Amino acid sequence: MNLIREIWQSIVRRDPLSTDKGKSELVFLNVWLHVHPAKVKKENLKFTHSFYLGFITFFLFLILLTTGIALMCYYRPYPPQAYQDMKDLQFVVFMGPFLRNMHRWAAHGMVVCVFLHMCRVFYTGSYKKPRQFNWVVGILLLLLTLGLSFTGYLLPWDQLAYWAITVGTNIGSYAPFIGGQLREVLLGGHTVGEAALLRFYVLHVAVLPSLIILLTIVHFWRVRKDGGLSRPVWKLKPEMTESLVTIGAPDEMVPLNVASASKDKTYGLMEVVTGKPIFETVTPEEEADTVFSYPYAFVREAVVLMATVTTIMTMSLFLNAPLEELANPAKTPNPAKAPWYFLGLQELVSHSALLGGVVAPALMVLALIAIPYIDRNPSRRPADRKLILWLFAFFVVANLVLIVVGTFFRGPGWALVPPWVHVVSGAE
Amino acid sequence: MERRLQQLFFALSLVALALILAAAWQANAPSWKTYQKNFLQLEAQGEPNAVAKAAVLATPPQIHQTLLPGLQRVDRCTTCHLGVDDPTMKNAPEPFRYHAGLGPHISSRFGCTICHGGQGLATEKDAAHGNVQFWQTPLLARDYIRASCGRCHKEGDVPDVPELAEGRHLFETQGCRGCHKLNGVGGSIGPDLTEEGASHRSPEWLEGHFLAPNAVSAGSAMPNFHFTKEQARDLTYYMLSLTSEEMGTYFSSMRSIPGPAYGRQLFVEKNCVSCHAIGGVGAKSGPDLLGVTKRHSMEWLDEQLVNPELVYPGSAMPEYDLETNARKALVAFLAIATPDDLKSILSGKPRSLSPEEISIEAGKQDFSRFGCVGCHGTELQGGVANPNAQGGEVPSLLHVSDDYTKDEVIAIIRNGRVPPVDNPAGPPPPLYMPSWKHVLSDEDINRIADYLWSKQQLKKESW
Repeated sequence: MNLIREIWQSIVRRDPLSTDKGKSELVFLNVWLHVHPAKVKKENLKFTHSFYLGFITFFLFLILLTTGIALMCYYRPYPPQAYQDMKDLQFVVFMGPFLRNMHRWAAHGMVVCVFLHMCRVFYTGSYKKPRQFNWVVGILLLLLTLGLSFTGYLLPWDQLAYWAITVGTNIGSYAPFIGGQLREVLLGGHTVGEAALLRFYVLHVAVLPSLIILLTIVHFWRVRKDGGLSRPVWKLKPEMTESLVTIGAPDEMVPLNVASASKDKTYGLMEVVTGKPIFETVTPEEEADTVFSYPYAFVREAVVLMATVTTIMTMSLFLNAPLEELANPAKTPNPAKAPWYFLGLQELVSHSALLGGVVAPALMVLALIAIPYIDRNPSRRPADRKLILWLFAFFVVANLVLIVVGTFFRGPGWALVPPWVHVVSGAE
Repeated sequence: MERRLQQLFFALSLVALALILAAAWQANAPSWKTYQKNFLQLEAQGEPNAVAKAAVLATPPQIHQTLLPGLQRVDRCTTCHLGVDDPTMKNAPEPFRYHAGLGPHISSRFGCTICHGGQGLATEKDAAHGNVQFWQTPLLARDYIRASCGRCHKEGDVPDVPELAEGRHLFETQGCRGCHKLNGVGGSIGPDLTEEGASHRSPEWLEGHFLAPNAVSAGSAMPNFHFTKEQARDLTYYMLSLTSEEMGTYFSSMRSIPGPAYGRQLFVEKNCVSCHAIGGVGAKSGPDLLGVTKRHSMEWLDEQLVNPELVYPGSAMPEYDLETNARKALVAFLAIATPDDLKSILSGKPRSLSPEEISIEAGKQDFSRFGCVGCHGTELQGGVANPNAQGGEVPSLLHVSDDYTKDEVIAIIRNGRVPPVDNPAGPPPPLYMPSWKHVLSDEDINRIADYLWSKQQLKKESW
């Protein structure tokens, strides 16, 4: 019995969780948990503060990683076999459709959530000092997510994949000087073919996931170093404070020793240096508003994790990922459409190739990256930032409208056709 | 709050577990397992004793598949159609019935979908029968299955399927190539037909289209050729057999049975007798072909048929654009051809041809082969309807020399021409003269002009 206890102790090496020391040691003695602070601000735990969109995005990524690795066991990245492997997944691999559906819906979900996460961060002004660069990292993560989704789009090697990538890479080739070469390097040729499939596969399973993992680590680390999630800096209304205090209040199951803790607090320091820290610091008053990450933050994250997983699973049970005919370079569907998140771009391209395909997206990305350096207004209060919030809302709505028009309102020849009109294409 | 969140977490975990179980249950209960169970019960009925019955019933469910790398397909049809090669299942209900009359085409070697169509990889009924969105080739109706013979047997006669040869003959003689490309040769007014057998078009659609193009495809530019029902059926068969599927060597060798009979037919069709003799019987402008297969190797003969000028620079022999197996068939015929054969062939062709006549004959071949006859008619009579073109139809070529010089006609063939319109405000005429300079050599075009002029002269004389 003693031996078992000793072994357990040698693994966890922390005090019991009933003590404050145990709760904080759970976090900072554990390599996986210590990206959390030992204590978190109460208001940041509120669902409506962040909607946990960053977490949801990360959990979707975990789903994608696991299902993706499983899918790799059944996939050969060369032309006719790739499509045959899709059919095998559909018809003979045990739970193959479920696996592929999960990967597909989680991928679309990640594109959506990473975008919503960006909107939330923008709305709360969380890209402002000291978090400017983390916003940039976030934009890079958004681009990597789109890249992952786009490269994965080709892999089933059906008509949908083939023509979406053909259209998508054509949009890229409108860039002056380098566009054509860029497309050629990406495709390993002038058209989407064997070489393109292999390159997209390598990008999809090795290059882009590695990059996104590396940047995610940076992203999380900086969130942590910048003092966790940004809290609203404007004064809280009294009644809100009231409701926040109920989180972790003494009558809840885990007793909270807020009052007398400060006397026997201990600090471990690596080095004592002079000068002020660049990070947000916590005043003793603010510290009163914090609770231990265990269990308050962890249980919420666990709930969000399971909600994400069950949502994706439910979708996968009832909605099948699309799979069209085998890719046929000789047969162009009319209209050939890029993946939905690029349909806004395609819509712009249909009006002007250079402006819509190159200038607008380049400006959009540059503007997004530059936001924290352009917006010098120190206030994060929405009331003080009306203009920029309206501008951002316009950017979001314009994107959505273009995507909706491109997805649902474009028929053969890219003519404006409402979705409720059935078009018979191609009289012969 | 905290307690409720914990409860929510556990509840959601249970939901996730339930979802996984539901997905596993869904994956574990495919319809093919039910079919296999029913089949085992059917088989067990025939067993003499309880032990044997139990042994049959204990067979674990499994996917049956025929791997056919040579045909680029995997057929899992036998997962449900379990009695296909079991003669005792002759009277069993579908899907277990024995497939009689397969001959050499046993399912383990050929699978099912190469003849029947459908989706071999699928293991659910609707998907396997191809009656789903995004599958090009659903199961062929019983009446049309034999059209699939032409997928491998590309040339010559397929025993029991005269429709195929007849359809091919119609295609080559009615000028379909004037508008349609097949294997890279032909016009571009209509759709390319190289993959027509692998498109989603149903046989019924094709047949209706041949009988009345506009009835199934509104606004179609295709003229109504007034085919009979049988001809429409023949052409439909031929269309269904057109795929450009890559096949392994085993199946490619099956692509035709190049027999001397087909060779003889080609010998007549291509008018070899107008230059060649066999054993002294026939024309003298080309070499006598008696024993030619002993004088030259197979490869030499094949090369000679592909490109005569390469073997004999300056050779007057035209290129005939014969497919591999057609050349084999011709050589096979030459190996056994006797002077008597030629006598019987010549009974309809009394005299040998002069070099001018050879050029005219080659022009006539090209005129037919590249589909000019489709619009201008086999007798140059024209008359195919072309709304809003001047005269409302494709012009006859019988009086072309009255309006044009030979060079002008050659220029029109080379560059193509849009016909003058009746009503400039109306829609453009659906048919136009395509440009042929990238398809035909100058020599070919000159020959066609020679052929046209030969017809003009005849007409004038008869005036």
